Amino acid sequence: MSRPARCAVLLLSIAALMSLPARGAQGNSIGGAQGNPAGAQRAIIGMQLEPPMLDPTANPAAAISEVLYGNVYEGLVQFGADGSVLPKLALSWEVAGDGLTYVFHLRGGVRFHDGSSFDAAAAKFSLDRAAAPGSLNPQRSRFDAIRAVEAVDPLTLKLRLSRRSGGLLQSLAFGSAVMVSPQSAANNARQPVGTGPFRFLRWRRGDSITLERNPDFAGTPAALNQVTFKFIADPSAAFAALMAGDVDAFANYPAPESFAKFAADPRFAVFAGTTEMETVLALNERVAPLGNVLVRRAISHALDRGAIIDGAMYGFGTPIGSHFPPRNPAYVDLTGMYPHDVAKARGLMAAAGYPHGFSMTLKLPPPSYARRSGEIVAAQLAQIGIRVSIQDLEWAQWLDQVYARHQFDMSIVGHAEPLDYDIYARDDYYFGYSNAEFKALIAALDDSVEPERRRDLLQRIQRKLSLDAVNGFLFQYPRLDIWNAHLQGIGFDNVLGVVDVSRARYDGAATTARDAEFSAAGAKPLPAYRMAFGVFAAGCLVLLGLAAHRFGSAFLAQRFAILLATLLVATAVIFVIVQVIPGDPVRYMMGLQGDAGTADALRRELGLDAAPLQRYVAWIAGLVHGDFGTSYTYRIPVRALVIERLQVSLPLAMYTLLLSTLLALGLGLFAAARRGYGADLVGGMIQLGLAVPNFWLGMLLALLFAVELHWVSAGGFPGWEAGFWPALKALTLPAIALSLPQAAILARVLRGALIDALHEDYIRTARAKGAGRRQLLWRHALPNAMVPVLTILGLQFSFLLAGAVIIENVFFLPGLGRLVFQAIVQRDLIVVQSVVLILVFAVVVVSFLVELAYVLVNPRLRATYGP
Amino acid sequence: MSAAPRNSSLIAGALLTGLFVAVALIAPYWTPFDPRALSIAGKLLPPSAHHWFGTDQLGRDVLSMIMAGARTSVGVAALSVLIGLLGVPLGLLAAAHSGGIDELVTRGNDLVFAFPALLLAILLTSVLGPGAITAIIAIGIFNIPVFARVTRAGALQLWTRDYASAARVAGKGRWRISREHILPNLAGLLIVQGTIQFSLGVIAEAGLSYVGLSAQPPTPSWGRMLNEAQTLTALAPSLALFPGFAILLFVMGLNLLGEGLRRRTERPE
Repeated sequence: MSRPARCAVLLLSIAALMSLPARGAQGNSIGGAQGNPAGAQRAIIGMQLEPPMLDPTANPAAAISEVLYGNVYEGLVQFGADGSVLPKLALSWEVAGDGLTYVFHLRGGVRFHDGSSFDAAAAKFSLDRAAAPGSLNPQRSRFDAIRAVEAVDPLTLKLRLSRRSGGLLQSLAFGSAVMVSPQSAANNARQPVGTGPFRFLRWRRGDSITLERNPDFAGTPAALNQVTFKFIADPSAAFAALMAGDVDAFANYPAPESFAKFAADPRFAVFAGTTEMETVLALNERVAPLGNVLVRRAISHALDRGAIIDGAMYGFGTPIGSHFPPRNPAYVDLTGMYPHDVAKARGLMAAAGYPHGFSMTLKLPPPSYARRSGEIVAAQLAQIGIRVSIQDLEWAQWLDQVYARHQFDMSIVGHAEPLDYDIYARDDYYFGYSNAEFKALIAALDDSVEPERRRDLLQRIQRKLSLDAVNGFLFQYPRLDIWNAHLQGIGFDNVLGVVDVSRARYDGAATTARDAEFSAAGAKPLPAYRMAFGVFAAGCLVLLGLAAHRFGSAFLAQRFAILLATLLVATAVIFVIVQVIPGDPVRYMMGLQGDAGTADALRRELGLDAAPLQRYVAWIAGLVHGDFGTSYTYRIPVRALVIERLQVSLPLAMYTLLLSTLLALGLGLFAAARRGYGADLVGGMIQLGLAVPNFWLGMLLALLFAVELHWVSAGGFPGWEAGFWPALKALTLPAIALSLPQAAILARVLRGALIDALHEDYIRTARAKGAGRRQLLWRHALPNAMVPVLTILGLQFSFLLAGAVIIENVFFLPGLGRLVFQAIVQRDLIVVQSVVLILVFAVVVVSFLVELAYVLVNPRLRATYGP
Repeated sequence: MSAAPRNSSLIAGALLTGLFVAVALIAPYWTPFDPRALSIAGKLLPPSAHHWFGTDQLGRDVLSMIMAGARTSVGVAALSVLIGLLGVPLGLLAAAHSGGIDELVTRGNDLVFAFPALLLAILLTSVLGPGAITAIIAIGIFNIPVFARVTRAGALQLWTRDYASAARVAGKGRWRISREHILPNLAGLLIVQGTIQFSLGVIAEAGLSYVGLSAQPPTPSWGRMLNEAQTLTALAPSLALFPGFAILLFVMGLNLLGEGLRRRTERPE
C-alpha cells in the first residue's frame, strides 16, 4: 500500500470511529416519554437555578429549599398549599400564656441521615443555632421573639417568647428553620443531612444534584430510588431538554410560549398554577415625579395588564391589584381599582403638573418575564407621555444599583418570598415607600394571633397599598410545570416552590439511555482528563528537551523569564479589572433577604474585609503554592472546580480540533489538487464556514438532531463515569458546531500553503524526477504546509478552552467558559480571577511551545533563534 | 490564473456588503413598519405579503427589525475597527525602533492576545453596563493588537525597500519616513485587514448580543433576535432563520470583499 493510500485508510477509519456515536444513537431512540422498559424508579428533574450551597439555614437562595426542603430536610411544621401551617416533625402544638409559650409534641422514632436520632435536644440545637448572634441564618430576625428554647423531655419542646409573634409558626415552616443534626450541621453546606425521605448522594457543580432514597425514613418510604435535579438556566435549553427527553420533568418551566405545545402533547402532563411571586413595576418614590401619588395612579391606569400577561407570559399569570397572592384566603380582588384607561391617566398626569410627561429609566433584571414585560410596559407608558429608556442588568448589577443603592427610576421584578407585605413598612427598602399608617397596620398584625383579626388587617394592608398605588402591580407569577406523563405524584403546588418528590413514582420506568447514567453512578470514574494531561505533559517535556539540546539552556532560561514576567503582568491586569467590577459578592449571595449583621459576618468569613492590596498579595502567595483560592459561592477550592470543568472543556477542545483538522485536511487537499469547479465548490464551502456564527449553527443542530430526530441529547453532560461513548455523544453536536468555522479557517490556510508549496523549487525537482501529482501533494507539499496549520491549531486550542462559552450556554455544558461566565454574574470574583489567569497561562504556554516546535521543525527559521 | 474568479469575489462581496450598508443607512429613516411598534394581537404571524418575514413574539415586523439590526451591526463593527486603527501607529513605532520599543509593543500584543476575548468582553460589560458602546469598546480593544501586528510586519518589510533607505540617506527622521513613505504603502494591506476585522466584528457583535451584552432593547439586534427566537422555534421557526441568514450573508459579503481586495492589491507585485 502506498503512503498516501495508507494515510487515507487511517483517516477514513478515524472518521468511521467518530461517526460511531451518532450511528449508535439512532438505534436506541431516547425521548423520555417513549421508551420505558420495566425496572428502575429514577427521575431527572430540570430546574432553572442551581443552589449556591446546600444549607438553607445559612443562605437565602430559594433554590436550596426548592431541591432539598421536604426531600432531605424537614422542619417542625410545614406550609400547606394555601399558606396555612401543617404538622411535620412536630405532630401537634399548643399556644399558652397570652401567646408567649409554644409547646411542640415531636414525632418519635425519627433518625437523621447520619444515624443520630431526632429529639427535642436536636430541635433545641437547630433553633438555638439559627438564632445565635453571628449566625449566617438569612432570616435570623424572624426568630427575634424567641427568648428561650427548652427540651422538656425527648419528645416535648417548649419555646418561650419575649413578645407576642403572630407569624412565629409561619417562620418555623421556612427552609431557614429546618431541623439539623448536631453531629453534622457544620457540613450541611456541602453534605446536607436531614430527616427526610431522601438523602444526599452527590453534587456535580454547574450541572446536577442527585438524591437517593432514605431506607430508614420514619414515614412512608419514597417510591423513587434516585432523583437527579439538573440545572438548566436557559429557557430554550429547557425546552430542548424536555422535548429530547433529557429530563423527565421541568419545575417552574421558564418558557410560557411553548407551554401550550407540551399541554397538547400526550407524552407530557402539565400543571399551571400560581405562586407566591408578585410581579411589580417597582417605582422609586425617592425620585421626583414618582413620589407624587397622582403620577403613580396615572401609571397604574396606563398599564394594560391583559396585554402584559398575554405578551410577556402568553396568557399565564393572574392580574393583581395589590401586593398579595390571590390564592391566600385573605385575598381581596383590587384589580378594578385602576382599570386600563389612557385618557384618565393623561388627565392625572396633567393634574400632577406633567401634561407633557417626563423621561425615566427602566432597569430590568435578567429573567425573561422582566425583560419581556419591560418592553411592553415601556410602550404603554409612552402613551401617557412617559419616555422610558430600558437598561438590562445582570442580577449582581440589579442588586447593587437598584436594591442596595436605590439608583433607579423604575424596575420590574417578582417578589417571590411568601407573606412579604412587611417590606412596604421598611424605610430603607428599595422602592422607598414610607407611610406611618401602613407601618401601624403591620405592627398591629404582628401583635395579633386571632385569625379573624389577622384576616381583617391583611385586607386593610392590601387596600392601603392599592390606594397609594405604591408600585404598578402587574401579575401573580404562574407556576408552570411539565413532566413525563408516566411520572406521577410530584408535588409542585406549594408555598416555597419546593419540588416534592417524596410521593413521585414512575408507572413505567426510566429510559435505557438514562439507565447508563445512573447505573454508572458507583463505577470508578474514567480518568480521561488525567490521560490527556499526561500525554500533553510528556509532549511538553520532549519539546523542552529538544529545544534545550538545540539552543542551550541559557536560551530557554531567557524565554522562561519572559514567560513569567508576562504572567505577572497578567495577574495585575486581571486583579485590577476584577476589582473595578461594581456589585458586592456578599450582596449577591444574600439576595433580597438577609440583614446587615448577617452580611458583615459573611464578608468576614470570605476575607472580603481586607484591603485590595492585601488581597492581591494573598492571592499571589496562594498561586505560588498552587492554591487558587476558595470559591465564594460553592465554598470549595477553585482548583477542584477547574479540574471538574476541564473534564468537559479539555475533551471538547480536543474533539473539536480533531474534527476540524480532518475536515480541513480533506477540503484543503481537495482544493489544492483540483482546479476549476471542484476548487470553487470548496472555496464556497470555506466562505460559508467562515461566515456562519457557531452559536446559530449549534442552535440549528440541536433543533434538528435532538429535538426533531432524537438522535442525540439536546445538551448537558452525563460525566465520563457514565462511560466513554455517552460522554462523547454529549459532546458531538457542540464539537461539530465549534469545528465548522474552525475548519474553514484551517482549510483556507492549508489551501494557501499547499498552493504556495506546490510552486517551490523542491516540488519542481521532484516533478522532474517523475513523481506523480498525488505523491507531490502528499509527500512533499503537505509536510511543509502543515507548519502554519500547526500554529493556528495551537492558537485555536487555547481559544477553545474558554471561547466555547456561548456554545456551552447553547448546549448547557458545564465547561470552563460557563464557569467564568456564571462567576462573573454571581460576583464570585476569586473564581474569575484565577480561571482567567489559568486561561492566559494556557495561551502563553501553548504559543511558546508552538513557537519552539515551529523553529525545531523548520530549519530555515533556526538562524533567527539559535545561540 | 484567470481573471474571472478574482473579479467575481470582489464584485459579489462589494454587492453584498453594499446592500447591507445601504440598508443600515436607510433603516433610521425608512423601514416597512416601525421596528419598535408592538402589537400583542398580531404576534408570531408567519411570513406573508404584508409582513414579508412575519412578526415576532411582540408583534413587531421582523423585516423592519432586521433592517434596524443591520444598523446596530454595521455601527458596532465599523466603530470597533476604527478603535482598532489605534494599533497602526503602535505597529509603525515598533517597526521604526527595533529594540526596546519593539519588544514592548510585541509583548503587549501577546498579552492582549493571551486574554480570552469573549470573557473579557463579558467582564467589561459588568463594569460599563451592557450596550452598544460597551460592545464597540470590547471588540475594538482586541482589534488594536491585530492592526499593530499587521502594520509592524508590513512596515518591517517596507523598511528594507530602496525608497526607505533613500529617505534615510536624505536625513529624514524615522517617524517622518514612517508617515510619508511607509504608511501610504501599507494602505492596501490595512484596508484588507480592516475588512476582515469588520466581518469578525459582525460575528462578535452577534455573539455578544446573543448573550444580551450588546445594544439594549428596544434597539433591535440580530444576536438578541436569535436568542429570543430559540424558545419559539416550535411556534415560529422562521424567527430563528432570518437573523441567522442576515449575519451569514453580511459576513460572507465582507469576507469576499476582503479577499477580492487582497488579490487586487497583490496583483502589482
